[in-house]
Amino acid sequence: MLAPTLVVLATFYFYPLLVAVYYSLHAWDLLTPARYVGLDNYRALLAGGALADVLLATLRVSLTAVLGSTLLGLLLALAVNRPGRLAAFVRSSVFSAYVVSWVSVGLLWLWLLDADAGAVSALFRMLGFGTAGVLARPESAPYALGLVVVWKVAGYAMVLFLGGLQSIPPSVVEAATLDGASRLDRFFHVTLPLLAPTLAFVTTTSLILTFQAFDVVRVMTQGGPVRSTTVFVYSIYEQMFMDLRVGRASAEAVVFFVILLGLTGLELWAFRRRGAV
Amino acid sequence: MPLPSRHRAPPARDVGRRELLLGAGAAALGGCEPVSPLSRGRQQASLWFTYGGRNREVLEHLVQRFNHAQSAVYVKSVFQGDYYEGLAKLRVALAANAGPALSHVVGEIVPYLAEAGVLERLDAIGAVAHHVLPELGQRGSWVGGDTHPLVSLPFNRSTPIAYLNGAIFEQGGLSAPRSWDELRDMARLLTRRERGRTTRYGFGCPVDWWFWAALVGQAGGHVAEPNGDITLGGEAGLRAVDFWQKLVLEDGSMKPPAGRDYNAWEQTNQDFLAGRAAMIWTSTAFLSYLEKNARFPVVAAPLPMRERHAVPTGGTHWVLLKSAPPAEKVAALAFVRFMLEPAQVIDWANGTGYIPVTQQAVLALSESGHFTRHPNQRVALDQLKFAEPWPWSTRLFRVQREIVQPRLEQAVLGRGRTRELFAEARRLARAD
Repeated sequence: MLAPTLVVLATFYFYPLLVAVYYSLHAWDLLTPARYVGLDNYRALLAGGALADVLLATLRVSLTAVLGSTLLGLLLALAVNRPGRLAAFVRSSVFSAYVVSWVSVGLLWLWLLDADAGAVSALFRMLGFGTAGVLARPESAPYALGLVVVWKVAGYAMVLFLGGLQSIPPSVVEAATLDGASRLDRFFHVTLPLLAPTLAFVTTTSLILTFQAFDVVRVMTQGGPVRSTTVFVYSIYEQMFMDLRVGRASAEAVVFFVILLGLTGLELWAFRRRGAV
Repeated sequence: MPLPSRHRAPPARDVGRRELLLGAGAAALGGCEPVSPLSRGRQQASLWFTYGGRNREVLEHLVQRFNHAQSAVYVKSVFQGDYYEGLAKLRVALAANAGPALSHVVGEIVPYLAEAGVLERLDAIGAVAHHVLPELGQRGSWVGGDTHPLVSLPFNRSTPIAYLNGAIFEQGGLSAPRSWDELRDMARLLTRRERGRTTRYGFGCPVDWWFWAALVGQAGGHVAEPNGDITLGGEAGLRAVDFWQKLVLEDGSMKPPAGRDYNAWEQTNQDFLAGRAAMIWTSTAFLSYLEKNARFPVVAAPLPMRERHAVPTGGTHWVLLKSAPPAEKVAALAFVRFMLEPAQVIDWANGTGYIPVTQQAVLALSESGHFTRHPNQRVALDQLKFAEPWPWSTRLFRVQREIVQPRLEQAVLGRGRTRELFAEARRLARAD
């Protein structure tokens, strides 16, 4: 029964991973024969802080996106978890951003954040945040990208939280109300603990999703300014296709895999400890 | 009267999954790759090209002209993104043994590809190679000579030039700046600010290796010394960055770089067209595009000088890929020969703004009075006398992309000390 799944996994996941490990130990430019270099590619990544810069940029974008989308998704879910046309309209509208392609989202926000013509930039200017566009400054660009991701994936989190909210037995909430629990008490001591499995699922999948961000970076910043938005996948793409370094790109892919696996494991372990999953 | 059996409809039956899949597959394939009636019975040659917009239109028109002008060869042109994307796809295709017969690549990568052994020699092209403008062919380098074989021929070649908003310059009674000091003063003068917001920058330029190379030359240095040593201009390299820093950080008369690679170039063009930059530096490749899309007169001008005049050359060269079948390579070479005929060189140059690459084409244009009627098209050609040759170096491409470009952006935005950044860049460039 498991054989077809195993074949697919072996062909499209395990084999490419093994190939990446193999090439991470070689210097190869796709044109001339690969040359065994041992751990040189890993050393090159660590030297000069290149890997640390990429990890930092990825964390900035990802944490902004995961925290923002989880919080916004939860708030939206609480707000629209009711019958009625207006709530249905808001649910559909918010979720619609999730089905729009990343490239379209990138282009739309590139325009909105344009330093001169963008509506959001105009708002920032009015609020006194300076005249340069947020995408032109290394301090703000990764967070701006993260917020664009929030805008796109908050609808996904909202739908999952709605599912979680609707699976909470009304009797539990009613019992808490009869016991005199305030609205905030009910949320923090009843709703949120019961939503923990959904929360674990949303944060884990959002983390994986945002760690793999590529299209939005390619369209909006191409990794700049000053490599402040060169996230892992974009860096791998640059090493592989722009800089002719297959070995170094493979080494980065292996490191990326290990980090993502570690972070996901850590997250699930933390939720398990709290009995969420 | 009943139809003969071969004309009768087959008995109706349910369409099976296999038929459905085959039908869908055929429809998808048919949709992906329309077959031109012109291609029937001819030797086909694939051409991968890397232009969008106006330049793509002109190239596709010339390909069509070739396909209609003869009946032996059919050139199939395929768009592959910008230069860098196209190069990435080309390398992957070569590794997969699925490359085209013909493509065009930036000059800096030609030595790398040649030394990797993927380029076919072009000796069969004949005397045409000798008619190429010497500054664009760099005898002893791209078009062969000395110890190098002929492996590439110039196609779309360019230099950076200055573009001025004619209306703004006329209104201010200004003419093109001739020195760095004049450029700086003029950029300050032309910058407009309203309520703390810069509504017009006096100057715009992508913070890119190519324009930095122009500044290095103007400051009296060489990115690579004649002996091939990549020095990044020494002190001149620092003076070049310092000039940009002054414009961006001190004067606020040059827009900070937005986007990277060709996105930054496109942004610079859009700023100029929208009146958000009064004067820009970009490639002569955009001459036709900017002239056609600007709502003001576009005036092209040579770049200013500091210690001396200097410009790098840019653009791409035709290359024939060794991995293609022999018959396809012969066919592709016929197309290159056609493209180097004066008529095509002239139409390509006039349609885009690139420099006409052969002496016959330049002579024909001069004699016809073309440059008198279109002085903007003369600017890049005139600048060729100040062109700095690129060295034949397999490392140049990596030095450009991995070592210099990231540090330029860093330095211009004031993130790090320029001297240290470039000392490190020089060390890496020599060690790479």
